[in-house]
Amino acid sequence: MLKIINGGIEVLVEDWPGRLGYLGMGMSASGAFDNLALGFANLLVGNSPGEAGLEITGGFLEAQFARDTVIAVTGTDMKPTLNGESLPMWQSVAVNRGDTVKFGHIGEYGFRCYLGVAGGIDVPAYLGSKSTCIFGGYGGFEGRKLAAGDELKLGAPRGALQDLAGRRLKDGVRPDYQRQWQLRAIPGPNTSPDYVTEEGMDLLFSKSFKINHNSNRSAYRLDPLPESFFARPDGGVGGSHPSNILDHAYAIRGALNICGNTPILLIADGPTLGGYMCALNVINADLWKIGQGTPGRDSITFRMVGQQEATEARRAQKELLSEASLA
Amino acid sequence: MEKSVNAIMPGLTARVVVNVGDRVEKGQEVAVINCMKTEIPVNSEEAGVVKQVLVKEWDELQVGDPMVILEI
Repeated sequence: MLKIINGGIEVLVEDWPGRLGYLGMGMSASGAFDNLALGFANLLVGNSPGEAGLEITGGFLEAQFARDTVIAVTGTDMKPTLNGESLPMWQSVAVNRGDTVKFGHIGEYGFRCYLGVAGGIDVPAYLGSKSTCIFGGYGGFEGRKLAAGDELKLGAPRGALQDLAGRRLKDGVRPDYQRQWQLRAIPGPNTSPDYVTEEGMDLLFSKSFKINHNSNRSAYRLDPLPESFFARPDGGVGGSHPSNILDHAYAIRGALNICGNTPILLIADGPTLGGYMCALNVINADLWKIGQGTPGRDSITFRMVGQQEATEARRAQKELLSEASLA
Repeated sequence: MEKSVNAIMPGLTARVVVNVGDRVEKGQEVAVINCMKTEIPVNSEEAGVVKQVLVKEWDELQVGDPMVILEI
């Protein structure tokens, strides 16, 4: 059992790859916003990489363990402590019954941190996933962020606790956190020449976009685009603005929706369809970087890649989340 | 002695809910930050009297930026 003393700003139970297969019914996949950090936290405590852990956004979680276990903290450095002493990150640490873990505010780099626990967080899977969709109010722990007084069950560890503690990542494996995040992306489906000018596409793949403070697990808003971005004077039968098109399915996670002049990355809990054009899709292997992008502080650039590079990057990332990455 | 109440998240100042001269208790909400389309309360870690309000609505904030100065 893990007892929540302070739920912090937004702490959610999330797994990976989330709730797949229901986009057609309007249900987004949810899942860890930074699947790589969750994956490493799980790997360190002996879980499968997609096991459910806690996603801590903004910070200030405080929780007490009601049994001995092994934990690992990854992601942004929220200066976590265990019983008031500094808790090392990116390695597995044994904790005893009665121990208290506490997190501060976000670090210099990154926005979310992950707490992996040996055996995972034991909440009932809903439609195949333990992930929380806060905007839908389902999945995870009672379909909501955690609050003081909540008691979470923990799963059964996959090995003896003494064998799971003290595990570290090899040098060079830990992801690089920045304030300027470069996202690899494939153009489409609404691009030049039909919807976007050539100049507009050049701008999209060269400009640095600041992440707006109004960004969350549903969407990340970026700096607005100029009128010269659009190839059409209006949206025709789709609407009055050139970003309007007839309603269509959004290829979440990772579609860049153009909503009026505002580019919006549709991610974890994003909408599954709508009437705005989408100019690119972030590749699966780079989705984690969006989750570490800090609203109101960090910026995003897009680098164009092809399908082959996207597939290879996804394969390489999957290989990274294996015992071979442990020191 | 002076002590500042600082921003705990990046975002915009939604409002400051105390005025100069107000008595503030430990844990009391003194300001609100707008981030992630959510209003996030900023509570004082100390008891004291508000000496100065440094931010106003819509001011952009980074973590650690002082919002209110208390005399403790």
